[in-house]
Amino acid sequence: MSKNWSITSKQLTKRLAVLSMSALMVSVLAACGGASNPPTAEDAGQYEVTPGDPFSAYKDEVTVTMGRVTTANPKLPAGDTYENNAYTRLVKEAFNAQIKDQFEANGEDYSRQVSLAIASGELPDMMRVDSKDELKELVDNDLIEDMTEVYKEYATDNIKQIYDSYDGRALDNATIDGRLMGLPATSLDSAPTMVWVRQDWLDVLGIKLDADGDGAIKLEDVEKTAEEFLKKDPGQTGKPVGIPFVNTLNTTDYNGSAYTMLGVASTQGAFPQYWMKGEDGSIVYGSTTEETKQMLGVMADWFKRGIIDPQFGTRTFDDITALYTNGQSGIAFGPWHIPDWGLSNTKQMDKHAKFTAYTLEDADGKVNVAHANPSGQFIVVRKGYEHPELAIKIINLFYDKLANDKDVATSMPEAAKYLETGVDGSTRPFNIEVNSATSLLDDYSDIVRGIKGEIGLDQVRTTESKNNIGSIQTYLKDQDTDDLTAWSKYHSRMNGVGLIDKLTQEGKFNWMTPAFSGTTPSMKQTWANLTKMEQESFIKIITGAEPLDYFETFVSNWKKQGGDQVIQEIEAETTSQK
Amino acid sequence: MKQEKYKARNRLGTGAMYHMMMLPGILFLLVFSYIPMVGVITAFQDYVPAKGMFGSEFVGLKHFIYMFKLPDIGQVISNTLVIAIAKILLGTLMAIIFSILLNEIRFKFVKKSVQTIVYLPHFLSWVVLASVVVNMFSLDGSVNQILAFFGLENINFLGSNTWFQPLIIGTDVWKEFGYSSIVYLAAITSIDPGLYEAAGMDGASWWRKVWHITLPGMLPIILLMGVMSLTNILSAGFDQIYNLYNPVVYESGDILDTYVYRIGLVGRQYSFGTAVGLFKSVIGIVLLLSANELAKKYTDRKIF
Repeated sequence: MSKNWSITSKQLTKRLAVLSMSALMVSVLAACGGASNPPTAEDAGQYEVTPGDPFSAYKDEVTVTMGRVTTANPKLPAGDTYENNAYTRLVKEAFNAQIKDQFEANGEDYSRQVSLAIASGELPDMMRVDSKDELKELVDNDLIEDMTEVYKEYATDNIKQIYDSYDGRALDNATIDGRLMGLPATSLDSAPTMVWVRQDWLDVLGIKLDADGDGAIKLEDVEKTAEEFLKKDPGQTGKPVGIPFVNTLNTTDYNGSAYTMLGVASTQGAFPQYWMKGEDGSIVYGSTTEETKQMLGVMADWFKRGIIDPQFGTRTFDDITALYTNGQSGIAFGPWHIPDWGLSNTKQMDKHAKFTAYTLEDADGKVNVAHANPSGQFIVVRKGYEHPELAIKIINLFYDKLANDKDVATSMPEAAKYLETGVDGSTRPFNIEVNSATSLLDDYSDIVRGIKGEIGLDQVRTTESKNNIGSIQTYLKDQDTDDLTAWSKYHSRMNGVGLIDKLTQEGKFNWMTPAFSGTTPSMKQTWANLTKMEQESFIKIITGAEPLDYFETFVSNWKKQGGDQVIQEIEAETTSQK
Repeated sequence: MKQEKYKARNRLGTGAMYHMMMLPGILFLLVFSYIPMVGVITAFQDYVPAKGMFGSEFVGLKHFIYMFKLPDIGQVISNTLVIAIAKILLGTLMAIIFSILLNEIRFKFVKKSVQTIVYLPHFLSWVVLASVVVNMFSLDGSVNQILAFFGLENINFLGSNTWFQPLIIGTDVWKEFGYSSIVYLAAITSIDPGLYEAAGMDGASWWRKVWHITLPGMLPIILLMGVMSLTNILSAGFDQIYNLYNPVVYESGDILDTYVYRIGLVGRQYSFGTAVGLFKSVIGIVLLLSANELAKKYTDRKIF
C-alpha cells in the first residue's frame, strides 16, 4: 500500500508543478496587457471648452462609470431608469458627459459591491463610499485620485461655503495626509431618532398622546399605544404586529437610523456604538455602558410582552417597511425624512393614513441626542480617470446651480419637473446631500414663512424649498389628497423638521459630543468580529435567549477580544491630537 | 510533414478524437480551478490589492493562527460539520430509498412523472426557493397555520436556534434527493435480473431481494458518491444558508463559508478569507484520501 501511495503522490506533485507553472505563466502574460499611462489631472484642461470653469463642458463626449446607491421606491417616471433619467441627461447636456452605471445596489448590497470593486481593483470612475475606513483603504491602495487641486480650482464659491460651514470638519474627514481624497457628503446635526405614530389610528381609538403638547413623550406612552394597537387592530388586517426593529439595532448615522432602537436608547441616556468620554476622561464605548444595559432591559421586557414584533431579528428592512404599508404596524422609529421614502407607501395603500412625529424624553424630561459626524460618506474618483474635475462639476451642478437657481423651471425644465413631483434624490448621479450646517432649519423657516405668505417665492433660498411650499399647501388644502408628494413633504417637513425646530428653540435637547469617530489600526482585524458579537449578544438578551445579566459577559468578552486594545489606541490618538 | 501527421494519429490510435473531446473540460479546469490556485499565496500574506499577489508582505501563518483564536470558530466549525454530515447522510439515505421504491413502479408513465416532479427543485436556485421557505416557515406562514389548526404552539423556525438546523437540513434533502437518486436508479438497472429470478426461485421475499441483491449491487456507487461528497464536508451550502439566515440564528446557522464571507469579504480581510478557504480544501483532501484508503482496505474498491 505504501509503495502504491508514494508513486501516485510523486506523479501528483509532478503534475501539480507543471500545472501551476503554466498557470503562473498565463497570469504573468495577462498582467502585461493592462499597462497604459492615463493623462494626469493637470492636462485635463485641454479637453474642456473653457478650461477651469466650474460648469464647463467637454469638447468630445466623455463617459463616466459609476457605482450608484439606489432606493426601493425612487418614484421615477415610467421609462426612466437610474442610468437614464432627467438628472443623467442633465449631466450629458451640461458637460457632454455620459453616465454609465457599473453597479446599482442599496443597503448592505451596496457595501458588498464596493468591497468587491476594491478587491478586484475594478473601480467605477466615480462612486460613493460609506465610511472613512473605506476611504483610507482606497488611499492606502493608491486606487483613488487626489482631489485637492481640482477642488480648489473647480468648486464654486457656494459649494466651498457649504463645506466651510462645518468649521472645516467636513473636509477634514475627507483629508488624509493633508490631501483631499474624496468629496464628503454632509450630514446635518439634526436630532434624536423620532417615533412616528399613526395619527389616524390614535384618533379612531381616542388615544391622546403627548397631552402637554411639548412633542416629547415617555416610553410608557409608546408602550401603551403599541399595546392598544395590538389589541384593537385599527389597521383591520387581522394580524397586527408590535413595533418592528431592524436587527442591526444601532447606528451612529442619524440618516440611517430608520427602525433602529436609538430612540429607546436616548431615554436611558445610552449612546450605543458611540465613543464617549467617561467621567474620569477615559474613552468609553457606548455599547458597553450601564445605560445601554438598561435599554436592553426595556427592550427585553417589551419583547416578552409582545410590544416588539415577535419575529424581531429575522425581518429585513423591506419586510419592516411592508408591515407599515400593509397597516399591520403603526409605530416607526426613524429620522425626520422617513415619510419621504419609507412611510409614503402607507399613504398609497390607505388614503387616510397620517403620521405624527414625537421624540422620546428621559425621566427628567430631556431629549438626549448625540452630535452627528459631519460627514461619513465620500464621493471618490478612480485613480487614472481622465476627468477627476467632473466629480466637482457634478456637485456644482446639483448642489449649487440646481439647488439655488431662481429660475430652474426654464433653465432645467426636466430636472425641475422631477423636483416638483418628488422624484427621489437618490436618482441624482451622486446619492449624497451637500448642505450647509444650518440648512435644515434655515429651509424650514423659509417654508414656514412662505406658507404664511410672509415672504414671496422668489425670496425662498432653494429650489427644493420652493417646491416643498407648493406641496405642503396642496396638502393643507386637502388632507386626503392623492398627491403622494404633498403628503410626504408635509409629514417630513412640517411634522418632522417642525418638531426639531420647536425642540431646538425650547432648548429641550441634551447634546452629547462623541469623543472619537474614526478607526484605529487594530480595528481592521477585530472590528467585524466585535460588531458581530455585539449584535448577537443584544439580540439574545432582547429575545430572552439570555438573561439581562449576560450583558456583563458580553462586556468582558468585548474587552478581551480586542475592545481594550481599540480603546488604548483611541486614547493614544486623542491625547496626541491635543 | 503529411506523413508525420499520419504517424501521430496512428500513435494515438482511434481514441484520438475521443481524447480531443476532453480538451474543453481540461481547459475549463485549468482556467477556473488551477490558475486561481496561485491565489493561495495570499493566505500567507497581508494582501493589499494595489500591491498585488507578488508585492504584498509575507506574514507566514498569522491568519491561520488568528482563525483558531477567533472565539466563534469552534461553534462555526461544528455547525458546518453537523449540517454537512446530516445533509450527506440523510440525502444519500433518502435517495437510496427513493430509487429502490421508484424502481418497483411498473407503470412507465407514473414512474417518469414522479421522477420529473422530484427532480424539479434541484433546478431552482436557493435565491428563489429561500423566499418560498421563508413564506412557509415564518410566524404567520402556512406551516404555523397548520400547527395552529391542530392547537399546537407556533414556532419561529427562522428565528430559533433549535429549529434552524433541522430546517436547513430538511429543505436541502427535499431539494436534492430526487436529483441524486438518478445515479442510484442507474446502478439498480445494471444489476443482473437473473439474480432476482434465482432469488425468487429460492423463495426470497421482496425485503430479502433488496437486502441481498439490490443493496450490494448499489454498494460501489454508494461508496463512490459517499467518498466524493466527503470533500465537501466543510462546505455546508453557502447559497442556502446565506439566503435563509439572520443574526438571530448565527449561533446555529453560521457555517465557515458564511462566516468568512461576512468577516472576510464584507470586512475586506482578503488574506483571512483565503486562509480559511485553504484550510477547508486541505481538510477536504485529507478526508478524501483517507476515505479512499479505508474503502480499499475494507471493501477492496477504490476510486483512484
